[in-house]
Amino acid sequence: MGRLLEVKNLETRFHTQDGTVHAVNGVSFYVDEGETLGVVGESGSGKSVTMLSVMRLIPQPPGEITNGEVWFEGRDLLKIDKEEMREVRGNRIAMIFQDPMTSLNPVLTIERQITEVLELHLGMNHQQARARAIELLKMVGIPAAEERIDSYPHQFSGGMRQRVMIAMGLACHPRLLIADEPTTALDVTIQAQIVELVKRLRDEIGMSVIWITHDLALLAGLADRIIVMYAGQIVESSPVHELYKNPRHPYTIGLLQSIPRLDEKQRERLQAIEGLPPDLIDYPTGCPFAPRCRFAIEKCWEVDPPLEEVSKGHYSACWVKPEGAEIMHQWHASNTEESQ
Amino acid sequence: MTAYLVRRLLWMPFLLLIVTFLTFVLGYYGPGDPAQLLLGQHSNPEAVERLRHELGLDRPLLVQFADYVWRALHGDFGESLTMARGRPVSDLLKRSLSITLQLNAVVLVVSLLVGVPLGVFAALKRNTWLDYLTMTGVVVAISLPTFLIAPILLWLFAYKWRLLPPGGWNGIFSRNIILPVIVMSAGPIAVFARQTRANLIDVLSQEYIRTAYAKGLHERRIFFVHALRNALIPLLTILGLMLGSLVVGSFITETIFGIPGVGRLAFQAFFSRDYPVIMALVLLIAIGYALANLLVDILYAFVDPRIRYQ
Ligand SMILES: Nc1ncnc2c1ncn2[C@@H]1O[C@H](COP(=O)(O)OP(=O)(O)OP(=O)(O)O)[C@@H](O)[C@H]1O
Ligand code: SF4
Ligand SMILES: [Mg+2]
Repeated sequence: MGRLLEVKNLETRFHTQDGTVHAVNGVSFYVDEGETLGVVGESGSGKSVTMLSVMRLIPQPPGEITNGEVWFEGRDLLKIDKEEMREVRGNRIAMIFQDPMTSLNPVLTIERQITEVLELHLGMNHQQARARAIELLKMVGIPAAEERIDSYPHQFSGGMRQRVMIAMGLACHPRLLIADEPTTALDVTIQAQIVELVKRLRDEIGMSVIWITHDLALLAGLADRIIVMYAGQIVESSPVHELYKNPRHPYTIGLLQSIPRLDEKQRERLQAIEGLPPDLIDYPTGCPFAPRCRFAIEKCWEVDPPLEEVSKGHYSACWVKPEGAEIMHQWHASNTEESQ
Repeated sequence: MTAYLVRRLLWMPFLLLIVTFLTFVLGYYGPGDPAQLLLGQHSNPEAVERLRHELGLDRPLLVQFADYVWRALHGDFGESLTMARGRPVSDLLKRSLSITLQLNAVVLVVSLLVGVPLGVFAALKRNTWLDYLTMTGVVVAISLPTFLIAPILLWLFAYKWRLLPPGGWNGIFSRNIILPVIVMSAGPIAVFARQTRANLIDVLSQEYIRTAYAKGLHERRIFFVHALRNALIPLLTILGLMLGSLVVGSFITETIFGIPGVGRLAFQAFFSRDYPVIMALVLLIAIGYALANLLVDILYAFVDPRIRYQ
């Protein structure tokens, strides 16, 4: 598998009235051809800003990409000119967003919103583009696509709108689809349908996917690799099964422990990690997780740990690197006892 | 939506009837008796009584009202009592209304054609000195009172430099119209410019605009196809108010520039207590606003699919 995207040392800041927000702090990751990368982390951990930086869609001002490289198809996207970047967007890299309600333009028909991409990037005339748009809508499972293509977004349900977003994203057969929490705003059954849809289309088109979510459980059947973000950093990066089996970063362990497991007798949501993420304006010097970490040692408060390989392909940014598998086992055992 | 509009349309006559009745009642019980007004303060009470009978003023209120409505439906609003004694109100109204309508229509078009592009420009250059300059100009324009700016312009352009005629009405393609239009457009231009700018800046931060960028669209297309239309929709409400006031003449401007429009007519009618004229004017304004409201609703449905398909 060839390397499709490689991000090195990405750093994004927002200059606000209260000070500089350190939203993304030296993030490096890659995506291979055909691979699906899952990105998890709490709200505000910098998932969206990282991906918007890759797309160069950070509002400027107040945002600024202060450092880094984004290698894609042999070019550093942060170095190419605006016009070249525009040709990458929607064509080579597509992005879909969380809220399909507000992500589509309310006053333009679905047809207009899909065909404009086809006309722009593939040079189709309007008839060709319309025919292709209908095919795309069918492909994402919109019934009666021939008629519904002339509707407006508000005439569709949330799930259908997200399908439209996907159709729009896939219109030009991008090499990479970045999906920023595309199912968060949908109810559970629709969520599963959308995940299945993206999986199917990914395999048909042979594209790579970056899937952002809060929900580690959702990634189990979808992602090949997962990166875990905290306070604008990647704190753990691992092949998906390895991560579930043997998480090494205390934050990831916490995340996994807060997933309700279907095979458990008690199904209530287990406690989330206590405490709050650090202030991104007054960024801490040591490990940003230290105030919430039950494994913290003195060093943690002074030096921020680098991301280091703990086993093949598995990286963690932690001075202590507890054996997650063991802890989780103990934790579950004690938890089941308590409830008996 | 269509059903809603039809309902509105059917409601309109009732609405107008109510407005007419209210003004009629006010006129009926209000101070000043038309017959007395006609004959003068110190006239013979018997003569006044006779005139009241002749004018039908001694009939019950509802009979008089029905009579008034019946005539009004045939375009007869009675005769002027004081300001132009004996002339049919409809004549007075026709002439001044045609002038005011033309003048205000020009003002409306100029305001839109100048105000909206100014707002777009400011939004495009937002937070640069060009934006600040435009918006400062707009604030100044909105806060200058007509009674101040009109005489100054008049003095400068008509008397000092002798570039433009001092006033009068010569149709919309004459040079006489330039000064009044400038004076009357300043406020609306400012309102349109500010609203357009604010709406555009708001729309540009919406998620669907980010989607448009993520699709790789040209900035021009994003601005003019994806953003502008959404930003202009709320302007319809302001437009509606202005459309409603098309029939309302500006007292001050019309008086200063000697334009015989509705504004001046109303001014004179009020001060000479010319009830038939006043009533007709009130009715006219009510019709104007009702029609404008309806038109705005239709326009909304036309430009905003979310409303069209309700
Ligand atoms: N336009 C902006 N101006 C100022 N700060 C911003 C801006 N956009 C994002 N941030 C800040 O950057 C940080 C990272 O935000 P980001 O949206 O990437 O989080 P996230 O991980 O995507 O969270 P969520 O799961 O809620 O989507 C947050 O602290 C946020 O407040
Ligand atoms: S470095 Fe220290 S504080 Fe940070 S996660 Fe590891 S143990 Fe916890
Ligand atoms: Mg986000």
